[in-house]
Amino acid sequence: MQTNSRGAALAGTDTPAASTAPLPPSMDPVASGKLVEKIQIKDLRFYYKKFEALKTINLSLADKRVTAFIGPSGCGKSTLLRVLNRMYALYPEQRAEGQVLVDGANILDPKIDLNLLRAKIGMVFQKPTPFPMSIFDNIAFGINLYEDLPRAELEDRVEQALRKAALWTEVKDKLKQSGLGLSGGQQQRLCIARAIAVKPEILLLDEPCSALDPISTQKIEELISELKSDYCIVIVTHSMQQAARSSDFTAFMYLGELIEFNDTETMFTNPHNKRTEDYITGRFG
Amino acid sequence: MVDIPSSNSGLRLRGPQHLYDGLFRGATLFFGLFILFILGGVAISLVIGSSEAYRNFGLKFLVIDTWNPATNKFGALVPIYGTLITSLIAMVVGIPLSFGVAVFITELCPPMLKRPLSIAIELLAGIPSIIYGIWGLFVFAPFLQEHLQPFLIHTIGKVPLIGALFAGPPFGIGILTAGLILAIMVLPFISSIMRDVFETVPPMLRESAYGLGCTTWEVVWRVVLPYTKVGVVGGIMLGLGRAMGETMAVTFVIGNAHRITSSLMAPGTTISSALANEFTEASGSIYQSSLIALGLILFVITFIVLAAAKYMLIRMQRQAGN
Amino acid sequence: MAKDLARYARRRRKNWTILGLSLCATGVGLFFLGAILYSLLVEGLSAIRPSLFTEMTPAPGSDGGLLNAIYGSVVMTIVGTVVGTPIGILVGTYIAEYSRGNKLGQAIQFINDVLLSAPSIIVGLFVYQLLVVPMGHFSGWAGGTTLAILVVPVVTRTTVDMLVLVPNALREAAAALGTPKWKITVSVCYRAARQGMLTGIMLAVARISGETAPLLFTVLSNQFWSTDMNHSIANLPVVISNFALSPYPDWQRLAWGGALLITITILILNITARSLASFGSSKQ
Repeated sequence: MQTNSRGAALAGTDTPAASTAPLPPSMDPVASGKLVEKIQIKDLRFYYKKFEALKTINLSLADKRVTAFIGPSGCGKSTLLRVLNRMYALYPEQRAEGQVLVDGANILDPKIDLNLLRAKIGMVFQKPTPFPMSIFDNIAFGINLYEDLPRAELEDRVEQALRKAALWTEVKDKLKQSGLGLSGGQQQRLCIARAIAVKPEILLLDEPCSALDPISTQKIEELISELKSDYCIVIVTHSMQQAARSSDFTAFMYLGELIEFNDTETMFTNPHNKRTEDYITGRFG
Repeated sequence: MVDIPSSNSGLRLRGPQHLYDGLFRGATLFFGLFILFILGGVAISLVIGSSEAYRNFGLKFLVIDTWNPATNKFGALVPIYGTLITSLIAMVVGIPLSFGVAVFITELCPPMLKRPLSIAIELLAGIPSIIYGIWGLFVFAPFLQEHLQPFLIHTIGKVPLIGALFAGPPFGIGILTAGLILAIMVLPFISSIMRDVFETVPPMLRESAYGLGCTTWEVVWRVVLPYTKVGVVGGIMLGLGRAMGETMAVTFVIGNAHRITSSLMAPGTTISSALANEFTEASGSIYQSSLIALGLILFVITFIVLAAAKYMLIRMQRQAGN
Repeated sequence: MAKDLARYARRRRKNWTILGLSLCATGVGLFFLGAILYSLLVEGLSAIRPSLFTEMTPAPGSDGGLLNAIYGSVVMTIVGTVVGTPIGILVGTYIAEYSRGNKLGQAIQFINDVLLSAPSIIVGLFVYQLLVVPMGHFSGWAGGTTLAILVVPVVTRTTVDMLVLVPNALREAAAALGTPKWKITVSVCYRAARQGMLTGIMLAVARISGETAPLLFTVLSNQFWSTDMNHSIANLPVVISNFALSPYPDWQRLAWGGALLITITILILNITARSLASFGSSKQ
């Protein structure tokens, strides 16, 4: 196991057959603080009917950090992301085997209450998906699932969520209007606000900027770097530049396998695996 | 349930959600099955109600042409004939008309007019059967009696063989009138399905044909129709199913005579109009049972036709989806 | 060269002829629509007076109105809609959200669409044997039940069509918040599809407003004012049918008036429903 870079210490290396021993929570301390392991993926295999879409993934994701999944189309990065909140459970022909430990508890256990799991893990999708209701109701929807708050407190929570998503000043006068009337970038920030309103601990972002223009993209990337101090953020992105800009750690996947996992700086300046280097330098993908 | 360690544990969904989930799912399944039970119930009630007639007359019921409440002798031949013949006329007249409307709206019509035209044609479908009946009886039938029918009698009526179809006094009401009204009633159904399937043709297919120099008609005849023929047949059969089941419009204009005449202009009866006319006054259990037996026959015929139509439309959808 | 030109000219002529015929066909369709509406207006307008709405169906030869018939029709339509709509929505929800295209869901959808086009008189016969015979007499409830059975397939069909259009991403977004499945369907999917579903309900009401044949076997009619749903109650279609076939000009006039009333109601419902549909889709 290599220890010469803090990132590689968190995961199995580029040898496909390598399996990792669980890692101690205390790691090489970094200038910005100790790394805490939030999610631990162990020997994860994923199947669409008979097709093995994810082949024995071993990975650890740090709390209060941004981890990016990159790789060419079809490599399984979105699939892996959707395992983390068991979104695949909506579709009977998809199944996962192995373990995914969140704060030590295996979320793939069939006895886990899916609704509560998803309250703890928020997700934002590729295309903005505001509900067909007012902006206020969009945010309140999730809160009302779990808490019976008096009106004033509800309004406070909605405002907090919108402020955190850097949307409050733009919508505070039109909370009663439909969420569908906002621009694409605003709708996506609305979805982020909706996700953080229920106070999750983990945020999963599936190519959140791919449908947005560059200015909205920039705003959202700024938002992500602010949010990371409170959440464990995992972002799937098609853009290497975005991964390089926004993330602390990067995982490169190819054809369902985890090829390399490292801290972002090392990944992009000094990748260990040839395939990683080829992808990053644009020789394929 | 295994709890997930959480900094905000104590988080619980409000209300017994698993119970609600189960109840809701159960309710949707229950009523889904309910639909199947309705169909089954209809079939069973018809069979039970008609059993007396079949016990008495046997399967010959289908081919006897007497209908005599006084002597309690009934046979389904005349109503079946009426149903089939009026539907046939409706198809012969209605299919070309529907086709013409569909072609016009999809190929020729200026885009601005498409929507209002489609809505207008569909309004024809919204007009209830009884309105067609009244209009047919008071307006259409007299018109036919004074103008069209004498014309037919003096022209085609003179031709040997088929002339017999158009012979005889112009009653105004009768089988031909009923068939024509049915044609107008099924026009919107058939044409709207034809329109829908015409629009599933990939634009590239059309464009390749135009690119070769085909005229609009040639594109329709040689590209659009062959591509959509399953759907077109499905639409036609849907129209047929509706025509066979139409009641009030037919009842008003068919004349309600329990006999088969060679002339199309003579009055006759169909299954549905016999039911509508006679059921509430049918005294005696054999009379009633015979009428219900007619209903059973109608149910079986229309079910077969409509099921075949639906099957073809599903095939068309699958093809378009690919 | 001349042969080619002649051939081309023939093709063009054929093209224009047939396209001309299709224009005629459309003209025929529109003509009949116009003719029917015209007749309705001409014959029925004279009957549209306040007394139409305030007086009961009269004996032949005297003046009167259609109040009892209007009342009965409205009540039975309400019963049919209130009972049939929730059932139709639930069936449509099963097909679209819970069946995942399995064999049962396919069978239910198939049968539903057959019922949609099935002769309504058969439904009348069914309810006759189900309700009228055991009760021993006609009733407004039997009529309402028949109408409910006719409403269900229409509402199911539109519910399925509308729910299928709701993008899956919306359901996943709700699931990602931890929303239980039933709430996703009710609070998100129904809301997204509500315009289309409302259109479906309007079309269902329009459909049952004119139904006559099944009512002949289940509720018949009543010459007098009655609010008793347990027995025959007056209703527009049957009254129109009886009056139109009678030899009395007064009655015939009332029949035309009632026919005009029904047709206007149905046209308004149809046009509103369809423009709602197009307005909704243009908003998004």
